[in-house]
Amino acid sequence: MAVPATQLKQVLHQAASPVRFERVTKRFGTVMAVDDVTLKVPAGNLVTLLGPSGCGKTTALRMIAGLEWPTEGRVYIGDEDVTPLPAANRSVTMVFQAYALFPHLTVFENIAYGLRVMRRPHEEIRHRVGEAMSLVGLPGLERRAPAQLSGGQQQRVALARALVMQPKVLLFDEPLSNLDAKLRKRVRADIRMLQQDLGITSIYVTHDQSEALAISDIVVVMNQGRIEQIGTPTDLYRRPASRFVADFIGEANLLPAVVEDGTVRVGSYRFPYRQPGVATGAATLMVRPESVQVGVGGEGLPGRVQTAFFMGTYADYLIETEAGEVSVADPRSVDGIYPMGTEVRLLFSPTALYLLPPGA
Amino acid sequence: MTSSTIAITRPAHAPSMTLLAWGGLALAGGLLLPWFRTGRDLASFVAGTTGIELLGSEPAVAAALVCALLSAILGMLKLPLYRRGQLALVTAAAGCTLVVLALVGHGQPMGPAPVVVFLGFLSLVGVGLSLSGYLRADAFIAASIVWVAVFVVLFILYPLWAVLQASVVVKGRLTLEVFGTVFQSPNFLMINNPYTPRDEIRIAVTFGAVVAAVSGLVAAVLARKLRPVVVWAAGSGIAGLLISALYLGFGAVRNSVLLALVVGVASTGLGFLFALLAERSQLPTRRLLGPISILPIITPPFVLGLAMVYLFGRQGFVTHSVLGMSTTVFSGLLGLSIAQILAYTPIAFLLLQGVVRAMDVALEEASETLGASNWYTLRTVIWPLARPGIANAFLLTVIESLADFGNPVVIGGGKPYLATEVFYAIIGRYNPNEAAVFGVVLLSMTLTIFLIQRYWVGERFYVTVTGRPTHATPRKLPRALDYAVTGVFLVWVLLIVLLYGSIFVGSVTKLWGFDYTFTLAHVKGLSPSGWYVFRTTASLSLIAALPSTALGFLIGYLVTRYSFPGRRALEFSSMLSFAVPGTVMGIGYILAFNQGTLLLTGTELIIIMAFVFRNMPVAIRSGVAAIHQIDRSLEECSTMLRAGSLTTLRRVVAPLVQAALLSGLVFAFVRAMTAVSQVIFLVTPRVNLSTALILSYVEHGSMGRAAALSSVLVVFMAVVIMIMYSVTTRIDARAGRGAQAKP
Repeated sequence: MAVPATQLKQVLHQAASPVRFERVTKRFGTVMAVDDVTLKVPAGNLVTLLGPSGCGKTTALRMIAGLEWPTEGRVYIGDEDVTPLPAANRSVTMVFQAYALFPHLTVFENIAYGLRVMRRPHEEIRHRVGEAMSLVGLPGLERRAPAQLSGGQQQRVALARALVMQPKVLLFDEPLSNLDAKLRKRVRADIRMLQQDLGITSIYVTHDQSEALAISDIVVVMNQGRIEQIGTPTDLYRRPASRFVADFIGEANLLPAVVEDGTVRVGSYRFPYRQPGVATGAATLMVRPESVQVGVGGEGLPGRVQTAFFMGTYADYLIETEAGEVSVADPRSVDGIYPMGTEVRLLFSPTALYLLPPGA
Repeated sequence: MTSSTIAITRPAHAPSMTLLAWGGLALAGGLLLPWFRTGRDLASFVAGTTGIELLGSEPAVAAALVCALLSAILGMLKLPLYRRGQLALVTAAAGCTLVVLALVGHGQPMGPAPVVVFLGFLSLVGVGLSLSGYLRADAFIAASIVWVAVFVVLFILYPLWAVLQASVVVKGRLTLEVFGTVFQSPNFLMINNPYTPRDEIRIAVTFGAVVAAVSGLVAAVLARKLRPVVVWAAGSGIAGLLISALYLGFGAVRNSVLLALVVGVASTGLGFLFALLAERSQLPTRRLLGPISILPIITPPFVLGLAMVYLFGRQGFVTHSVLGMSTTVFSGLLGLSIAQILAYTPIAFLLLQGVVRAMDVALEEASETLGASNWYTLRTVIWPLARPGIANAFLLTVIESLADFGNPVVIGGGKPYLATEVFYAIIGRYNPNEAAVFGVVLLSMTLTIFLIQRYWVGERFYVTVTGRPTHATPRKLPRALDYAVTGVFLVWVLLIVLLYGSIFVGSVTKLWGFDYTFTLAHVKGLSPSGWYVFRTTASLSLIAALPSTALGFLIGYLVTRYSFPGRRALEFSSMLSFAVPGTVMGIGYILAFNQGTLLLTGTELIIIMAFVFRNMPVAIRSGVAAIHQIDRSLEECSTMLRAGSLTTLRRVVAPLVQAALLSGLVFAFVRAMTAVSQVIFLVTPRVNLSTALILSYVEHGSMGRAAALSSVLVVFMAVVIMIMYSVTTRIDARAGRGAQAKP
């Protein structure tokens, strides 16, 4: 059955399936890699599993792939319980960390590998491989060896090899970690555009929070085998559910605060702030470095400049205050930064503040 | 809830072709092929013993075939996969047991049918383990694990068990009598000889005390602390006592141990010097080290002994013709240790070259920048880093020396050695129990050393390789040391050239030592029987090389990539052959496969099996090394692209380890061609091997023919190795081209 060139997109779009984890636990010996995780990935979304190394994100991904098996719980792809199925029978493909291109095969044969394993007719293989290659933008490189390609091209071969199998779910295991910083930005944009264009369910593992924020529909923050928070990138940044998330997503100052009626007090600095559902009393206030204004005199939290660095587009301060150290990224003092030892006042812009739920 | 309780929600499944095929194969083989043979001839079948004819008379056979039928039917039943797997496991396990029962009950040598049926059931056990989910691997891997485990048990552990058993069971009675007799015989070990006026034990004790006092004194002067004084005095005192006792004593244990110590120390020392030479010398002679280190691989181990007889024997060219002596001083421990040192130095060299190469030059440079002298750096940096590697090389050469059979036979001067006593006890004195006792003693020595090497020294290797290439050029040896070591090396080369030369010249010399006229008589004398045996050796070696390499790589793959119960045990037992001396394995094969249903002695098959399992560990090692070079994600990727493990092995792993596979194949072939200690027990006039034939030429005094056949072997092997190197270089170059041509 040959697929016309315009149809691969359609096929992929139709194949896209939701993925579901139901109380999945994975133990390696006594180590709890994934701890009672329940998770739903809607069809056609790009969901990122984000966390520090050893948080269980890769294990979770490998359980969807079928390269690891849960100790407890079940994994569903679409409506099907795939828990007992080996990797080969899951209609899931993966872009590996170092791409895992077969070094002894040409680009064409790498992409054709899965079709050859399935013993598809020669004509169909040629057609489908060509289609996948034009989809990821790899014209005329069929006969190259993987080692003759640049990092970005290798990445695209890996992607084409995964797409040509028309998977229900596409997995990415830290696919950008082998690229340099500039290329990483471009390739992640390419991946995102292609994913949205194809509407394919994608699960993406990374430890790089900026990558996760940039690329995802939904981010799942994991820590020590558990899910810390699930949300859109904005959600996570603006309203982190825990200190861990606040700290892990971007940079955050977590200051002890006292909530009173309509106002919040940090040290001696009191300002009007309301957040629904927060009771009065002691709380933790999250202040992003870029939402702090540094000034001399007037209102604000008093402090002393400890370190000051000129960073090009902003000035990076560490300021000692009565509520602890506060990190500041101040874009307005680009041409004149306050030197070390300056007594300053800090103002928080209320739109970017967030009171962490008690106990978080 | 555990992993084994994961239920499958899908109700019914397509028929399982694997179950159907293996069940069908077992059934067809069991019905159509004969179950028994009459004797040693593998093709001599007992009439009327095909499965069809046995169905009525042999209930076990009938039941086994029913199991095969059931397994095939299981493949077509509409059952959930895991249930099908569990049932297949039960029927196949029952089938295996029934086949064993049928064979044991009957007692006649087995024919082809039980082999086919049993292997069929083994595969079904594997398929069952995989389908039932008890083993997280696909059917091919699961079946491979089961097959490999059974083969290792049958051809490595069972023969060893037979040796152990024969040493303590005489005529069905459990006894330590044989141990007692052997231990008391002067042939085994005698320290205090009653026929000499001196009291050897007293001399040894005195010597030990003197050594302890001297080294204690030296330590006291150097260290001025109590602990090193005590340690050094006690250690060297005990060593002095033992060595002097051994030196004065008699018997196989004394000869073998003394020999092994001398050879171990000398080979390791020379090996380390040569390793320094290869890695750090500025002189061009270091290039000779590569080719010369191949020599022991392509030479039957006793050829150097043979050459020693030519050069330094009673009629030796050097001792007699040049120096005019008539001496037997080189026939015995002295000549034997020289022959072994020459043979094993290259082994130590190869091991230590890696150690020297892996030393991070930056450490030495750091030491130097901190103001250390060369000598101080050697003592405080190089020596501690190299120490585990040196211990490793020492222990391995000691094992080699203890296990060597050919050299002691040729140049041992008729004295007893542990390895040869095993042989003479069974072949000369027809006493398998005595042979077994010698075997157990030898085995316990080598096994102890092997365990020390593996678990104590092996874990103390300091890895200074960090993965990032250090571009620092290796530091050169100090000039004086360089010249001195090169001098030693050149003497060694000269000796090697002389020895090999004497073999080649000896094969075209009329009567060595008496009449040095040129003749082709010895070479012509090889025809027809010599050439026939050579051809047999080559073809059996070739036949064995394939399964040996394939099995080795498969085991290497299984133990590196899969975890399954018994993985460590499998790895350990398949590596055992490194520690088991060939003679011990040889008598094990004689004891295990000489009667009953497993009768194999006198056939080509037992020699092939001996080759396969003797050379497998080498293949395992190179397999493991090669597979470690492959990123695991390549295989995972292949799996996710729907390839089964067999397809992954064939399409991804095999092409990537091509060069290693090829050289593994060639080395398995070459090692089989040069093997002697194990197969010497298994050859018969009908199925003979070149090495055994050479030894029997030596025994009957046809030294010329022995030399001629040895020369043929050496030249043949050299050609094979050279062809292999040129092919693997080409493969590597092709693989390298792709990797290097980055734009």
